[in-house]
Amino acid sequence: MTGDAWWSATKKASLYLVLCIVTLTVCFPLIWALSTSLKPKSEIFATPPTLIPHSTTLENYEALLGGRQQYYQSGGASQAMGPTPAQFFTRWFVNSVIVTLGSTLISIVVSTLAAYSLTRFRYWGRSVIPYFSLLGYMMPSIIFVFPLFLMMVRLELTDNLLSLVFGYVCITLPFCMWLMWAFMRSIPIEIEEAALIDGASRYQVFAQVVLPTALPGIIAASIFSIIVSWNDYLFGRVFINSLDNLTLTVGVMLFFEGTHVDWGLLMAASVLMTVPMAILFMALQRHLVAGFGAGAVKG
Amino acid sequence: MDVKLQGINKSFGNVSILEDVNLLFPSRKFVTLLGPSGCGKTTLLRMIAGLEEVSAGTILFGGREVNKLAPRDRNIAMVFQSYALYPQMTVRRNLGYGLRVRKTPPAEIDDAVERVARILEIDHLLDRKPAQLSGGQRQRVALGRAMVRKPDIFLMDEPLSNLDAKLRVTMRGELRRFHLDLNATTVYVTHDQLEAMTMSDLIAVMHKGRVQQFGTPEDVYSRPANLFVAGFIGSPPMNFLDGAIDLGRFKVREAALPLPPLASGVAPGLDAVIGVRPQDLSLVDTAGSDALTGKVSLVELLGSEKLIEVQVSDRKRISVQVHAATQVALGEKVHVRFSAQSTHVFDKRTEQSLLAEAAIGEARQ
Amino acid sequence: MSRFSFLSSDRAVGLLFIAPFVVTALVFMVYPIAEAIRMAFFNYNPLRPDLVSYAGMSNFEFIFSDPLFWSSFGQGTVWTLLSILFQTVFGVGIALLLHRKLFGMAIFRGMLLFPYIVPTVVIALIWRWIFNPEIGVVNYGLLSVGLIGEPIYWLSTPTMAMASTIMLNVWKYTPFVVICVLARLQSVPLELYDAAKVDGAGAFRRFLDVTLPQLREVLIVVIVFRTIWTFNKFEEIYLLTKGGPGTSTFNLAVYSFEQSMASLRLGVGAATGVVMMIMLMIGSVVYLRVAGFGNEEKEA
Repeated sequence: MTGDAWWSATKKASLYLVLCIVTLTVCFPLIWALSTSLKPKSEIFATPPTLIPHSTTLENYEALLGGRQQYYQSGGASQAMGPTPAQFFTRWFVNSVIVTLGSTLISIVVSTLAAYSLTRFRYWGRSVIPYFSLLGYMMPSIIFVFPLFLMMVRLELTDNLLSLVFGYVCITLPFCMWLMWAFMRSIPIEIEEAALIDGASRYQVFAQVVLPTALPGIIAASIFSIIVSWNDYLFGRVFINSLDNLTLTVGVMLFFEGTHVDWGLLMAASVLMTVPMAILFMALQRHLVAGFGAGAVKG
Repeated sequence: MDVKLQGINKSFGNVSILEDVNLLFPSRKFVTLLGPSGCGKTTLLRMIAGLEEVSAGTILFGGREVNKLAPRDRNIAMVFQSYALYPQMTVRRNLGYGLRVRKTPPAEIDDAVERVARILEIDHLLDRKPAQLSGGQRQRVALGRAMVRKPDIFLMDEPLSNLDAKLRVTMRGELRRFHLDLNATTVYVTHDQLEAMTMSDLIAVMHKGRVQQFGTPEDVYSRPANLFVAGFIGSPPMNFLDGAIDLGRFKVREAALPLPPLASGVAPGLDAVIGVRPQDLSLVDTAGSDALTGKVSLVELLGSEKLIEVQVSDRKRISVQVHAATQVALGEKVHVRFSAQSTHVFDKRTEQSLLAEAAIGEARQ
Repeated sequence: MSRFSFLSSDRAVGLLFIAPFVVTALVFMVYPIAEAIRMAFFNYNPLRPDLVSYAGMSNFEFIFSDPLFWSSFGQGTVWTLLSILFQTVFGVGIALLLHRKLFGMAIFRGMLLFPYIVPTVVIALIWRWIFNPEIGVVNYGLLSVGLIGEPIYWLSTPTMAMASTIMLNVWKYTPFVVICVLARLQSVPLELYDAAKVDGAGAFRRFLDVTLPQLREVLIVVIVFRTIWTFNKFEEIYLLTKGGPGTSTFNLAVYSFEQSMASLRLGVGAATGVVMMIMLMIGSVVYLRVAGFGNEEKEA
């Protein structure tokens, strides 16, 4: 091995080492959460703590997904706690899925149509609307939440999943709009003109030529919208007040109420909340990055 | 089908793009709109396609006004500069799209697509997507998409500008052949005068939103109507000299160059500009009143020819094209001879040709 | 004049397509903001809607004379600035690490970007677990290697609570900076590096003279964006510390939430929101200036 080759191999090895350290540091909290969620109660508080559980168990996951009541030992007697958060987990999960998909669908449809209109037709306000959206993009959600809450009270939609769909539209629409606008601008008008000359009507052009071309942008905007809606705590906390209609984020925080915190259960809940986002992320990472390029950062 | 443009005007807000364009493209001819970028040629083409609104004037296809017709009702086909292939569709679907939206039976579409693909020699590419094709292949798909539908009018917007030089030359011949096969009126837009000269039946030279001259390639090359056309057509570009007309000759510095017959009514002493192509000049051994004298400042070998630049005054250089065998040294003193029949004369103020035969050509239009 | 407007039906299509957005934006964005501004001038108790009364400037007078508002503002500013500082430094560093063609880089890239999609609630829960003073793994680790002599109370002393929320924020949002910087790095022309090499620049000089100037623009944009968003953050603080211990990690969003939700002073909460909005406007103007937006669309 020549000196140069040795040097470049060493450089490569040290680079990998640095990468591994950084990646492990970043991923450690997640790994630890996963590890905790798989431990039996006895092992969770063991000293020294174990990264790889000695005995793995799925009891925490079963408790959440099975919706069974939790019992815990107190003074030698087994006693029921009454309705526990774990019982509602699957219900909250479904609620979260419904409001996330509902709001994303609305935001995407509305912003895609609007972005097409804004980039292809001229009328008053056409250059103002995207920047107006950008401004909305930067508004603190705390501003929207109480006025919207009062609106929902008047519409008698409080404690209703629909109120959350509307609330999430309010926070996802601006950046979906901005992102779709940036994306639509990058689609050359010529391909639409070619379709017009080929004999397509305006609607055919939109459905058969523009939409398929805009698909990467639509996917990127959808991912962002899903992440934001799934992530929300504030709107869920303010709009919903019955256990039945809570979303995951607000519901899981209720696990802290009471005197006893079941860390194994909480970490299992955390893992289950993250899994859908993780799947989405792994499947569509490429589009996520592309979305950053088009939406959040210009040039 | 012939295309008639009557008094076409186009403006965006206060900016005037086209002014009073009157042209008649005869049926089945290959007509080129030629001009530098920003001259309005593409806008005019897009108006014929129906992609652009007409501010004033009338467009007629075979005598029928089409101003208000949507592009799809004009039975036209268009090849775009960027090709504008549908990125998510395969070549096969790209070619068939125009027939599909017109609800042609699938079997017929397949036949038409296969036929065109064979003609264009892209039948092995039918199941690829545009991103997997080379520039030349995309170009052929774009052409094919236009040919599949048997249009009355075939529009092309600088279709060769994205190809490399060699491919461009071969495609020129092919486009010409497709035009004959297609039996349609072709309107072709380009800024490349060589393309226009080699392919067209008729050329409309455009500048600043106006048609400067409309005629055969021969017309615009040999009888340029004005200074712009003279300078734009031909390569290497024409030499221009400022001077005054005096007794049928052209006074420039010490020389009095010979002129061809001028149109009647040209005032003596009029400030004028003459233009002579480098190919029409020759080097002679002796000075004379029909020659300018200067030093050779540049020699370029073009292959079979040599282009020589002669410094005839402090500010003025003239290029002369001579046979490659001619031996000329840098700095050598030479005499450049002008001949009357190949000299073009223009009014310095109006920039219009002052030649007798140009006036005849003008009247013929 | 439009490229398409010659067909009257076409214009209708354009207006039809924008209509849902206009309606949605008016109802769910413009109206709430207008309502928030209106509420800022009223006494508003959601439990006693009959007692709504015009308050003039008194809500604003209330917050401006409330020491908690000012300390929330100060803490929020510190939180924002430190978060952005670390996010930028780590973000650029990680992006430079990832910007290499090495085997397995896609896996590292994926894992390092992952925190961005982890829900804030989940991160807050994990943080509370691993930073638990008695049973948390972080204290255990630090104690066992001897870095600290006794457990650190991560979430129950003001300084450490602030540090913990900053760590959470940096952990979650550094990937954002990484993605943006990485995208920009990939478009830096390689000739520039070759030219610098030919000119005799070492690796460090190449970073200073080639990479950094190319990143300048994207960094400015990212920093402005992130500053505005971070300043407005609510969940990242509230879920981890509820603004505590005491009020030591309050920022303006938490202050506004607590005024509205706990003290039922919706008017005061709204007034705080309006103040935040004004600060945001100033930030946006800076951003628009910096990014040069609006120049290319002027003719439209």
